[in-house]
Amino acid sequence: MMRLLREPLLHFLILGAALFGLNAVFVGPETKVPQKIVVSAAQIANLEQTFARTWQRQPAPEELKGLVEDYVRDEVYYREGKALELDRDDIVIRRRIRQKMEFFAEDIAAAEPTDSELNAYLAAHPEQFRMEQSVSFRQVFLSSKRGETLDADVQEIAAALSHANGTEGASLGDGLLLGSEFNAVRRSEVVNDFGESFAEELFSSDTNSWQGPFASAFGLHFVFVSERSEGGLPKLAAVREAVAREWANARRVENLDEFYRALRGRYDVVVETPPAKREARAEAAGAVQ
Amino acid sequence: MSVTSPTLRRVLLLSGCFVATAAWADQLPTKEGVADIAKTQFSPYAGRNFPTRVYFGDTHLHTAVSVDAGTMCRIGQEDAYRFARGEEITTTHGLRAKLSRPLDFLVISDHAEMYGLMPQLLSGDPEILSTEAGKRWYDTLTSGNNEAVFATAMEIVGSLSGDVPPIKSDRAVQNAWQAYTALADKYNEPGRFTALIGYEWTAIGGYNLHRNVIFRGDSTVANRTVPFSQFDSKNPEDLWNHLADFENETGADVLAIPYNGNLSNGRMFTVETFEGKPLTAELAAMRIRFEPLVEVTQIKGDGEAHPMLSPNDEFANYEKWDKSNLNGTEAKTPDMLQWEYAREALKNGLMLEKKLGVNPYKFGMVGSTDAHTALAAVEEENFFGKHSGVEPEPHRWEHVVIEAPDPKFTIKGWQQAAGGYAGVWATDNTREAIFDAMKRKETYATTGSRMTVRFFGGWEFNEDDALSRLPATAGYAKGVPMGGDLPKRTTGKPPSFLVAAMKDPLSGNLDRIQIVKGWLGEGGKTQEKVYDVVWSGDRKPGDEGKLPPVGDTVDVVNATWKNTIGSPELEGVWSDPDFDPAEPAFYYARVIEIPTPRWTAYEAQRFGVKMSPDVPMSTQERAYTSPIWYTP
Repeated sequence: MMRLLREPLLHFLILGAALFGLNAVFVGPETKVPQKIVVSAAQIANLEQTFARTWQRQPAPEELKGLVEDYVRDEVYYREGKALELDRDDIVIRRRIRQKMEFFAEDIAAAEPTDSELNAYLAAHPEQFRMEQSVSFRQVFLSSKRGETLDADVQEIAAALSHANGTEGASLGDGLLLGSEFNAVRRSEVVNDFGESFAEELFSSDTNSWQGPFASAFGLHFVFVSERSEGGLPKLAAVREAVAREWANARRVENLDEFYRALRGRYDVVVETPPAKREARAEAAGAVQ
Repeated sequence: MSVTSPTLRRVLLLSGCFVATAAWADQLPTKEGVADIAKTQFSPYAGRNFPTRVYFGDTHLHTAVSVDAGTMCRIGQEDAYRFARGEEITTTHGLRAKLSRPLDFLVISDHAEMYGLMPQLLSGDPEILSTEAGKRWYDTLTSGNNEAVFATAMEIVGSLSGDVPPIKSDRAVQNAWQAYTALADKYNEPGRFTALIGYEWTAIGGYNLHRNVIFRGDSTVANRTVPFSQFDSKNPEDLWNHLADFENETGADVLAIPYNGNLSNGRMFTVETFEGKPLTAELAAMRIRFEPLVEVTQIKGDGEAHPMLSPNDEFANYEKWDKSNLNGTEAKTPDMLQWEYAREALKNGLMLEKKLGVNPYKFGMVGSTDAHTALAAVEEENFFGKHSGVEPEPHRWEHVVIEAPDPKFTIKGWQQAAGGYAGVWATDNTREAIFDAMKRKETYATTGSRMTVRFFGGWEFNEDDALSRLPATAGYAKGVPMGGDLPKRTTGKPPSFLVAAMKDPLSGNLDRIQIVKGWLGEGGKTQEKVYDVVWSGDRKPGDEGKLPPVGDTVDVVNATWKNTIGSPELEGVWSDPDFDPAEPAFYYARVIEIPTPRWTAYEAQRFGVKMSPDVPMSTQERAYTSPIWYTP
């Protein structure tokens, strides 16, 4: 930024803008009627209030006169500065204005949703609210600590389990801190505990017979799935708050986007090819996710 | 936190950035709504009478609502929740960010001091602009003069330690606080994601005597107060009194978590009062009533043990920030260390208990991030830094994190520890269950890895308990979990401990489990010893009883490692061979992973940068459980 401020081009631009503006000031307005600055009664009341909040008393008439004079001075500089386009290349002002515009768009979004809006949102985004798939299963675990004997052990246990029911395998294999019996665990919990690939296999394995072994970061797992629930879509009443939250967020994002696209549509944007160096940097930064 | 660096000016200049807070208030969830969700989503383990799952979270996260973070970070509280829940968000610098796995709970603990000021200031809130400092800050922050912006940002950070708030607007604070508590209620989903309400009391900034205050209840409880700030008092004893009054008036439950004793220059765990008088039993009781936990590991360094205090502990020199106090205005001297580190405090607690009848340092342990980025992201390969001035970019390893008057105390990017999560053995993922588990100290600290750790103490554990399918069954039946007191001794046997750990499926295998014992020996002198209890492979302890290192498979250049060493699981039973029934003692477990690439290695590989040779490139992640105490 410091560098930018020292940038000759910027100085040139400011100077140019200033000259252009001065020209406008000294030549242009002569032919026009002077602009009007109105300090409204509401504005004066506002100045009084602000003063009172700081000083805990009403301003004296002299002070009020000063406040009004200062307000007028603000206004004059504001208008003239804008006419000189001093705001144009000022990054702070640009950001503030962008924020105000975005606030403006977000404000439009802040409304109470109706049930039918929420029902529609729920129907359109079932994946966000679906009660998760869950599974009940037992496992026979073979720790990777077994090392060289692991392959042979797998054969042996696979043979022993081939005709066994869910409870019969229970004494085989190794212990695992997670336990050997799992009752109605959600898919996300299985992913957290065992990893994604194991969860994938578990949720697609046959039920009511010993399956596997499936690999995890801990070792190999034979599993006996006794029950699997596919989840399902809850009624709005059960998830109303969550739907309302997501609806509001989606609307906020959507409105911002729409608002921007509508405004953007008024412009014909020409982007000149950036230097190659910049592209490489953008790529490096993009790699972090 | 103070942040100054020429390299950050660019970022600070953008401090016109802020986030929306205004729209929060109009979407309050109803109690019934939450109860309905609870019915459909409640944890299936609820019927068991002991915790079967460990929940991972962060008890210490700042967003743009914090006055200091707000000068650089534009991610607010709502996105902080969404990120912690596992959603992808866009960072202050425009990167896409997502956790490898969701967290189970989060405490957004923005600074109490001028709570919510920054977003309100930058949005031109008339309430704030009617104050002298507010007007001036607003004017300079939006002046376009970057020297002035930077100076103002520093003034704002510095004012956190002043005697009077530069901007005092009770209504603005209350508005921001209530917007936050409403948001927390909105994102709190029992059984799935817990948003505990909290704030940070940030006293004696340069010496980091800060605490995170956490509420058990919802917004209706939290709204009966506003954050107690260092402008109310800089004395932690006053904070406890305030919390006691709040509990008495409302019947609510709160706790406070101190952290970064390593940056307190000998002030965090002293044996005196705040004003340097001898500690009293009353104050000791107040402290342990409200401070059952200590955050022992986070980005600003690890505070479990220090090599000068524990010269025989070869793992004590881990991610140390030990050159000065927090803002680098005072050098650290060796005599300060004994009042800074958790293990030493636990030992001094035994000594104090003998003297006062109360142990003020009978605390359990958690880790957390203290990130000022709104991103609880401390995985080594997914580390988003201490504050928004050191979010990922090719040269952040050499950027300044904290600038000190004396350059030798200035903290550089690479010194950040990508660490700190809290593991909590709660009966459910709800505010109440997690708070209660914290209160009974059934918690452990990890340096960012999500390993599962069980630790039980009793008088009757034997090898079969370690071999059993579910060690917790024996653990709870025959003993007490981490954070507990050994039951009264009725046998002639020494205490025995059942310990088991399982690796984080996404991180390295386990090297070993150790038990750290501290006790009050002859003449009332505190002692400590670290025992290797179970380890991977067939290593044999050497001449001095030390287990050889597990090895190292880290490929620094490619930032990878192999799980060909270490073990995915370790479990064992250990009896204290040096037990003396007359000596009070505590025991905690420390689990060590095999070496894996440190965040700096991932970054060097990812950005193709070469860092200086003193930058560590591998790490051994670890977990510290809350202790179990023996009292004769």
